[in-house]
Amino acid sequence: MLEIKNLHATVGGKEILKGIDLTVRDGEMHALMGLNGAGKSTLSNVLVGHPAYTVTEGSVTFNGKDLLAMSPDERSHEGLFLSFQQPVEIPGVSMVNFMRAALNAKRKYQGLEPLDAGSFLKLMREKRKIVELDNKLMSRSVNEGFSGGERKRNEIFQMAMLEPTMCILDETDSGLDVDALRIVAEGFNKLRTPQTSAIVITHYQRLLDYLKPDIVHVLIDGRIVKTGGPELAAEIEERGFDWLR
Amino acid sequence: MKGIDQYIEFFRSERQRIDAGSQAVMNAQREAAAEALQRLGFPTQKVERYKYTDVAAAFAPNYGISLAAASAPQLEEALISRYGTLARVEDDALTALNTMLAQELIVVHAAAGEHREHPVQITNTLRATAPLMQNRRLLIIAEAGADVQVILGDRAEAQQDFLTTQVTEVFVGEGARVALYDIEDTHDRCHRFHQVFAQVAAGGHLTHTAFTLASGVSRNQTDVQLVGEGADVQLLGCAILNGQQHVDNNTLIDHRAPGCTSRELYKYVVDQQATGAFAGRVLVRQEAQQTDSVERNANLVCTDQARMWTQPMLEIYADDVKCSHGSTVGQLNEAALFYMRQRGISESEARMLLKQAFASEVLHEIPLEALRQRLHMQVEKRFRSCDDCKLCKKE
Ligand SMILES: Nc1ncnc2c1ncn2[C@@H]1O[C@H](COP(=O)(O)OP(=O)(O)OP(=O)(O)O)[C@@H](O)[C@H]1O
Ligand SMILES: [Mg+2]
Repeated sequence: MLEIKNLHATVGGKEILKGIDLTVRDGEMHALMGLNGAGKSTLSNVLVGHPAYTVTEGSVTFNGKDLLAMSPDERSHEGLFLSFQQPVEIPGVSMVNFMRAALNAKRKYQGLEPLDAGSFLKLMREKRKIVELDNKLMSRSVNEGFSGGERKRNEIFQMAMLEPTMCILDETDSGLDVDALRIVAEGFNKLRTPQTSAIVITHYQRLLDYLKPDIVHVLIDGRIVKTGGPELAAEIEERGFDWLR
Repeated sequence: MKGIDQYIEFFRSERQRIDAGSQAVMNAQREAAAEALQRLGFPTQKVERYKYTDVAAAFAPNYGISLAAASAPQLEEALISRYGTLARVEDDALTALNTMLAQELIVVHAAAGEHREHPVQITNTLRATAPLMQNRRLLIIAEAGADVQVILGDRAEAQQDFLTTQVTEVFVGEGARVALYDIEDTHDRCHRFHQVFAQVAAGGHLTHTAFTLASGVSRNQTDVQLVGEGADVQLLGCAILNGQQHVDNNTLIDHRAPGCTSRELYKYVVDQQATGAFAGRVLVRQEAQQTDSVERNANLVCTDQARMWTQPMLEIYADDVKCSHGSTVGQLNEAALFYMRQRGISESEARMLLKQAFASEVLHEIPLEALRQRLHMQVEKRFRSCDDCKLCKKE
């Protein structure tokens, strides 16, 4: 469903991605590992269409469509979701209004009527439970005053609301305590359907123990230098990255 | 006939009809006003307080003035003797012009200790088939311990050129509370000059909110004197501008007594080629010890062509005071914008939400629930129609 071919991208005039090839089929879970600054978040941002990143070469197709030709909101409507490494605050925009705008935009894209207030709140309640996100956060501005862990839960909550088919988790485990990690990982597993695919970016084996990726890639200096099964993650945990350079 | 002369000549030739439809106290001040106007002329942009708005240009066209023919029922002398005591014609041409020509006077009076539960609502709707000028006066008097809220609404129904001058005098008695909400929702062919002169006695409290939802050229001048110990003022403003619109808020808070507090918050959202200006002067006189003053002006400038001038001024002559002032000019938060778009929210909707969020800080300060909600809706509607139109799409 997601096919990345020879993807090159720059940010601030500097080439960060230097030819990425990656195919994620329906229902597959891929883990992406690599040193700080290797370009993992850059790849995520390029895929969701962040305007700061420029694709200089290569192509990305998503369910047969040219992903790079779509606007960020279209990509979202088509089923692409990024759980940000560092979710931003949006002062003055309440979680409820934000979520309503997002959900109704997606429904409009699908040719559906906006959800009525009652059903919307009920849906919020159900989805919140999946990641055990406190209700009191819903009346606050988006991510404002949220702890690091709450922000990450909030990302997965939003994922639950929007039901994407292709999820990118960019270090969703960082900032989570051991219990929260389990809750979020199990929540994510609950949300998965046989069609849901994912790219999970992490530095640690812990998250992967829960999510059980099918394939593990190692990204170094803008290139995928090694691809293997789940055992590759365990090997990296043990030996680091030096042997791969 | 151009400029100031056309107004003075109109006054001289129509004096009788102007007087016939007005209060005696108003008529008594017209001659002095005309002389002051003649002497002052329209302020050029070299005059400090008028440097952001071209007054002469606004008054140059030939507007019609409709005069009230009927003789006005005369109000009690005791009630309106304060007319023109704060709004002094000697030093301000616009006040002089208004005093020279105004016929319409609205008086809101709250007797000592009177608590008005419901706000007084004054809505002015402009309708005309030819260019029209209006000159209005408002006098608000809250005697000691009184509590009154006034909502002024300015609307324009006809697509026509309008020029409005208004002078408002507000007397807040000892321990009294006055809330004045001035909400303009007109269009780009409207010029509006509103001068507010307020005086707050000991322990009194004044809140003034200048909300410009839509306008052409607006200049709001708000001068507040805190004359008694422990007096308190809150000035709030929000202006939403696009197209060629121009909004200029010019304020003066004059701390003349000890232990007074002042809070000031003005926020502007300036889009397309619009221009905004804010100049806020806080003057703390030597006798105003223990003054506590916070002044803030924050602005969102949405395009490269939009302009915002901001000039917070703090002048302190007392030594035991707590004062701060500051202003910011920024753009929409790109990171927040992108976050929303990743969640499927369109660019125009995301921009709208961020602008609304920006303006909501002022709305939150409005204690009148019903008014706050209505303004919320109006603000949203305003941003939507602004973003929906093709002109507004930022490329
Ligand atoms: N917006 C940006 N402006 C300038 N440089 C950037 C920007 N985004 C990323 N970079 C640079 O690109 C390189 C790759 O960064 P990226 O965030 O993709 O790394 P990463 O693999 O996600 O690292 P980490 O594991 O630390 O999250 C780094 O050198 C970073 O400084
Ligand atoms: Mg990263």
